[in-house]
Amino acid sequence: MDSVPGAGNANGAFREMVEALPVAIYATDAQGRLTWFNAAAATLSGRAPEIGTDQWCVAWKIFLPDGTPLPHDQCPMALALKGGRVPGGIECIAERPDGTRFWFTPYPAVLRDAEGRITGGINLLVDITDSKAAELEANERFRAVVETTPECVKIVASDGTLLQMNSVGLAMVGASSAGSVTGRSIYDLIAPEDRHSFREFNERICQGEKGSLEFDIIGLTGVRRHMETHAAPLRNSDGAIAQLAVTRDISESRRAERAALLLGAIVDSSDDAIVSKDLNGIITSWNKSAERVFGYTAAEAIGQSITLLIPPDRLAEETEILNHLRRGERVDRFETVRQRKDGALLDISLTVSPVKDAKGRVIGASKVARDITQSKQADRAALLLSAIVDSSDDAIISKDLNGIITTWNIGAQRVFGYTAAEVIGKPVTILIPSDRLDEEPEILSRLKRGERVDHFETIRKRKDGSLLDISLTISPVKDKLGNIIGVSKIARDITERKRAQAALLASEARFRQLADAMPQIVWTARADGYTDYYNERWYEFTGFARQKSGDLSWAPILHPDDIQRCRETWYGCVRSGEPYNIEYRFWDRHDRRWRWFIGRALPVRDADGTIVKWFGSCTDIDDLKRVEDDLRRANQDLEQFAFSASHDLQEPLRSVKIYSELLTVTCGERLDGDALQFLEYVRGGATRMEMLVRDLLTYTQVPKFEKPPEPTGAGEALTSVLASLAGAISEAGARVVAEPLPSVRVHAAHLQQLLQNLIGNAIKYRSPDRPPVVHVTAERQNEQWIFAVSDNGIGIPSDYKERIFGLFKRLHTSDEYSGTGIGLAICKRIVDRYQGRIWVESEPGRGSTFRFAVPV
Amino acid sequence: LPSPSEDPARERPRILIVEDNSADVFLIRAAIKAASINAALDVVKDGEQAIRFFDAADYDDSVPRPTLVILDINLPRKQGDEVLQHMRRSRSCRNAIVLAVSTSGSAGDRENMMRLGANGYFQKPSEYTDFLKLGDLIKELLGAGGGTDSAD
Repeated sequence: MDSVPGAGNANGAFREMVEALPVAIYATDAQGRLTWFNAAAATLSGRAPEIGTDQWCVAWKIFLPDGTPLPHDQCPMALALKGGRVPGGIECIAERPDGTRFWFTPYPAVLRDAEGRITGGINLLVDITDSKAAELEANERFRAVVETTPECVKIVASDGTLLQMNSVGLAMVGASSAGSVTGRSIYDLIAPEDRHSFREFNERICQGEKGSLEFDIIGLTGVRRHMETHAAPLRNSDGAIAQLAVTRDISESRRAERAALLLGAIVDSSDDAIVSKDLNGIITSWNKSAERVFGYTAAEAIGQSITLLIPPDRLAEETEILNHLRRGERVDRFETVRQRKDGALLDISLTVSPVKDAKGRVIGASKVARDITQSKQADRAALLLSAIVDSSDDAIISKDLNGIITTWNIGAQRVFGYTAAEVIGKPVTILIPSDRLDEEPEILSRLKRGERVDHFETIRKRKDGSLLDISLTISPVKDKLGNIIGVSKIARDITERKRAQAALLASEARFRQLADAMPQIVWTARADGYTDYYNERWYEFTGFARQKSGDLSWAPILHPDDIQRCRETWYGCVRSGEPYNIEYRFWDRHDRRWRWFIGRALPVRDADGTIVKWFGSCTDIDDLKRVEDDLRRANQDLEQFAFSASHDLQEPLRSVKIYSELLTVTCGERLDGDALQFLEYVRGGATRMEMLVRDLLTYTQVPKFEKPPEPTGAGEALTSVLASLAGAISEAGARVVAEPLPSVRVHAAHLQQLLQNLIGNAIKYRSPDRPPVVHVTAERQNEQWIFAVSDNGIGIPSDYKERIFGLFKRLHTSDEYSGTGIGLAICKRIVDRYQGRIWVESEPGRGSTFRFAVPV
Repeated sequence: LPSPSEDPARERPRILIVEDNSADVFLIRAAIKAASINAALDVVKDGEQAIRFFDAADYDDSVPRPTLVILDINLPRKQGDEVLQHMRRSRSCRNAIVLAVSTSGSAGDRENMMRLGANGYFQKPSEYTDFLKLGDLIKELLGAGGGTDSAD
């Protein structure tokens, strides 16, 4: 190794010291050729430098900090040896032959001779890799932070030159790379109207202030954005101050204003009433649903006090709500009642939030009101349901799928004797008698399949060990997803019912015994008309199989002509609940003929009046019916006979009369006095008989009118009677006085016959002492008219008052008073036909009053 | 078969009496005579005979046909209303004048006969002089019918 140039004769100790320095040191001649290096230089450069060959620097390859390769002849040592000035503090990168790199700062020094000529140089390479790495790391971290900041980070020089900007910022201004904007004036990117204020802001910051500013940028592309920047001064190492700014794009909040409009639309479309009010409770906004829920339009509501919606008895609530709001508190789902415009009350759930201004002051409230009338009703239904469960006489129990009891109502306590506390959590098997324990797994497996068990009658055990009959209805309980999570069980104590059933069976057995002993056919039917029972007589009569009952089970033996009528009548009664009563013919298989029966049935009703059963009978009325028919036929025959007889009798009588007259007229001279007298008797007899026959005909014809009568004016009837009696009246010098007469429901012909007979009699049986006067009057008594025909005639002895209305009953000989004895019988028959009556009041020698009553 | 009981004369009206009662036939003749009606008279005693009389006229133009029929309602075998219906369907006799007679004063009988096409109704009275009024009624009906033979 050569001596340190310039070191001359430096002693060995110095040399040793330099060799051992941890700083890389090397020396060159004036041409830069390596003349000496210490061990540290070899270590740092990672190579064995070659004395006399290596020029300018011991490092293998040199780079500038930005990575640009630095040729050895331009390295600081070279520049220094060539006489240039070398700035201090240069940082370079060197690469070792193994590829590793290190940062270093060279400290080249030039050695000159006495004449000042450069004779060589000496260079110190200080390894700054460690401190550089730390700096790089810090830089990298900073860069990462800056880069990852979602906002624009930039550094602006005091003159407005953009020094640095992160990629978010680049994106904001529309720059594709940093190179297109850095080093240029930032003012070009600011909207013209904001440039001035931005310049002032920048200068202020560069004087050391902090601050923020809102401004618009136009960027490189002219796209406007609204920015908000927060800036601080940044002192460079050279003491110059730049602006470090974090800038946020707040165009979005501008957009938010438009979004607010959209929100307004959403508010309007909400199902909830959304209302805002100020702190005085004055309504400031009102959405569509508010209109729907409360019935007021926005125009009607806005500007009004919110108390408009509050029922008078709840006004205090508003004060309370306002207090909450003033404290900035929110009122959440407050359930209350509000009033609609129409006065109807609504259950609503209120959520009221304070509305704050930018400074956080409460300036009003927004109110969301949800109409929960429906869900409130559901709540009430749930309450009601639980009340029902509790008040039920039935035991209502729920259990989980393992058969563990989970709920137990009061009914269950009453039925089984256990309290809820005693059984909840216990297996339901404590209620099951040991011989029925196999029922439970069966029930559970059915429930797990989602099936329901309906009215399963079984036996369960009380706490005291006694057994009871119960009817179980068990349903699976499902969660919202339809999973079976448990079982609800309703157990009804049917011990009483069982007892009642047994009693019913016993009474039914007694009933059947009784029914079988009856000579009639007896049957019962369900409320729907289905025949469910016949007694023994039925099966004997019909020969039907025992099982044959049911709808129309009676039809096969019914006369074809009666089936339709019976069916209609029976099902009509089943619908109306009216008693069933009908006559029909059944086929008698023993006598091989139809027999008349009367069918009767009455509904049996329960305490509520609901028909539970029909009890019926069929009674053989064939014999009766036949007798009745025979009688009716006999009567008809008799009447027909009487009619024909009286009719046919007239003809021969007429001949007798006419020919005896003819005999008198044509042969009178040839007959003697006696013969003429006999002829006169013949004629008289024939005449009387003719009258009799005529009256008898009238009498038999009284019932002939089939149709119900129309109201008949009695006054008109009287007029026609007086016309036909005109001869008799004038002959007797009689006077007939009549009051106005009413209309009655009697056939006109009948009314005429009545009046004609009574008035005719009044004239006929007149007193020889005075001219007859007849009064005809009528008087209303309840639902009847009572007619009276009074005369001043000979009167009737009281003994005969009844008899005179009999057929052919007369009080006088035909020599005294002509007559047939049929007139009053006809009157009676007519009055009878109308369920009326006829009677006479009389004072012999003074006169009689005949009265008859007929319906109005 | 009916036989003319009077001398047939071409211009004279022909009267058929359908009456079972000889006493009444006598009275009818007396009434016709009393009214001076110059008519040829035929008499049949029951409804069937009357029907045969009309049928014969339908088959044989030489058989006389009545100008006027005096028809008792109450007849043996066939009743007066049946006879009337048959006659009104007859080809040759349907236009004859019909006078129904009966002892019956029943409005129903009267209405029935008038409905079936009788031209008049006479209730047989029980006084001789009253009976003779039948002649006036016959005369009246013959006058109204023009007294012409309507056998076509």
